[in-house]
Amino acid sequence: MTISRKCVPFTPFERELSKTTIALVTAGGVHLKDQEPFNTADELGDLGYREIPPDVDSSDLMVSHHHYDHRDADEDINVVFPIDVLRDLHQRGVIGGLAKKHIGYMGYTMQLKAMYEGTAREIANEIDKGSRADAVVLTGG
Amino acid sequence: MKGIPTVVITVSPEVSAQMRPPRALYPKGFKIGNSLGRPGMRDLQEKVLRDALGLLRKNTRPGEIITIEYPEYGEQYEPPRVKKVA
Repeated sequence: MTISRKCVPFTPFERELSKTTIALVTAGGVHLKDQEPFNTADELGDLGYREIPPDVDSSDLMVSHHHYDHRDADEDINVVFPIDVLRDLHQRGVIGGLAKKHIGYMGYTMQLKAMYEGTAREIANEIDKGSRADAVVLTGG
Repeated sequence: MKGIPTVVITVSPEVSAQMRPPRALYPKGFKIGNSLGRPGMRDLQEKVLRDALGLLRKNTRPGEIITIEYPEYGEQYEPPRVKKVA
């Protein structure tokens, strides 16, 4: 197995969870039904991402992704994007809150450099500058 | 940018380990497309999410994937393997 030798950005976490605002970032191709779907026709993949608000009705979400079987996510989006679960945890005081924005992108690309140096940084900036998140939970498909 | 703590829930532990994520949870035997469990299994979904959030405060090492078993998930699946280059 080849291991990345790139510097791993490890950010310490010392907050209480009950005072922590969480953002979700998923590679599972999740987006709002009224947002432009990810381009599954392009064999190189889609380098875009979609912002998802914290108060979204989970029935307004869908998946555009052609590299995993997302029938279960079509039935219950929480299997890849646990937004309802996160809201439950907030209501019960387990976490401090939900970030102002959450992100979906299509985690398949043949343009790895552009994804790593472009999209990933843009998503990190969205989360860092615009979401007020203290920590991020990442999911794949 | 000062950095934001992250934790990844992965169902492809070998693949994810290559990028040496700072904190990673592998719910053992979950298939691709079921990162948090199966549809409608809200208790299981919450358990997985809480376990992932719990890793934020653990002393994990980059690339170390924490495997947790959830028998209530039911049928288990083999995760994708990283192809060895000859």
